Amino acid sequence: MTPDETVSLDELERKLPQPAELHAMTEANLRAAFAGESQAAEKYLVFAEKAAADGLPNVANLFRAISFAETRHARNHWRALGGIGATADNLQTAFEGESFEIDEMYPAYVEVARVQSDKQAFKSMHWALKAEMDHKRMYAEARAKVLAGGDVAAQPVSVCQVCGHTVIGDVPDNCPVCAAARQAYRTFV
Amino acid sequence: MTDAFKNTPPKPEKLGAMTEEDLKAAFAGESQASQKYLAFAATADAEGYPNVGRLFRAVAYAESTHARNHLSVLGGIGGTADNLKAAWGGETFEIDEMYPAYAAVAKLQGNAEAGTSIRYALTAERDHQKIYDTTAKGVGAGDDLGDAAIRVCPICGHTVIGDAPDECPVCGTAGQFFSTF
Repeated sequence: MTPDETVSLDELERKLPQPAELHAMTEANLRAAFAGESQAAEKYLVFAEKAAADGLPNVANLFRAISFAETRHARNHWRALGGIGATADNLQTAFEGESFEIDEMYPAYVEVARVQSDKQAFKSMHWALKAEMDHKRMYAEARAKVLAGGDVAAQPVSVCQVCGHTVIGDVPDNCPVCAAARQAYRTFV
Repeated sequence: MTDAFKNTPPKPEKLGAMTEEDLKAAFAGESQASQKYLAFAATADAEGYPNVGRLFRAVAYAESTHARNHLSVLGGIGGTADNLKAAWGGETFEIDEMYPAYAAVAKLQGNAEAGTSIRYALTAERDHQKIYDTTAKGVGAGDDLGDAAIRVCPICGHTVIGDAPDECPVCGTAGQFFSTF
């Protein structure tokens, strides 16, 4: 097969693993593999930042490229698990994940970090909990729009690179969660 | 503009055992949320919801910052030589232990689609292990990697340094579709 200009990436994506009825052990293994690939992808992004800071731009580039490869594996596994639905369903899945983190996971973890006097861990958990509250609201609003047949408004979405605070529209002068200056925000346009 | 980042990400600290366990679980959760949202963004784009796609991508990035913060507190970020060694160790575990076991079970259970997803990953992890190994040796001797482009197959994750092949040797995707870094 030679490269064919008429072949689109969409067509190629049909070669991706498809959702299928899975036996219990294979499903458990795919879930573990999805968890492993996701964590590898995140670690490599962090390692890329460190390599850039260490004056090794080409090692940083390598970490970014391999992180992307791991995101492809994570997507393939998640897809085979039947985890990717229509956008309205995906927004519901996302909303439920954020709700669990807000109602159950982070309050418990924050409390344990407090009991154990682990201040840095407390800060890391607390910042995440705060941002998940914004995410939950944004996902609920987006799902309502999509169910009504529309997209959400075309506005930039900005994220504080220190704590993850997420805002639609104008960026505040200082992050309301961690007080970083507005220059610390990364904007998605 | 270092001032903008005055309130720095959390630092490593000596952790109580339960807090350490919680942080590891939170790192796993944030990492998976980020990856799900990136996949959901691609679906939203394909369905004609580019602004929902943007929302998913931005929130995926927010979850990445949380994952980084948790990893930092866990002491998971070393110097680059150590990070390359950690990355090599992770790939080696996947190649020697995890994926062969998963591939065998998928075959036993007749789950062909899962088998494909696992085979694609296992094959690419071998590329990554080899590249991390040579890169770690270079960095150990004080050298950066060369500046050749790195190309990744968007279907199976096959990774090469230098030119893309005419077609991916793992999944057959044309080289023109490889992502270039």
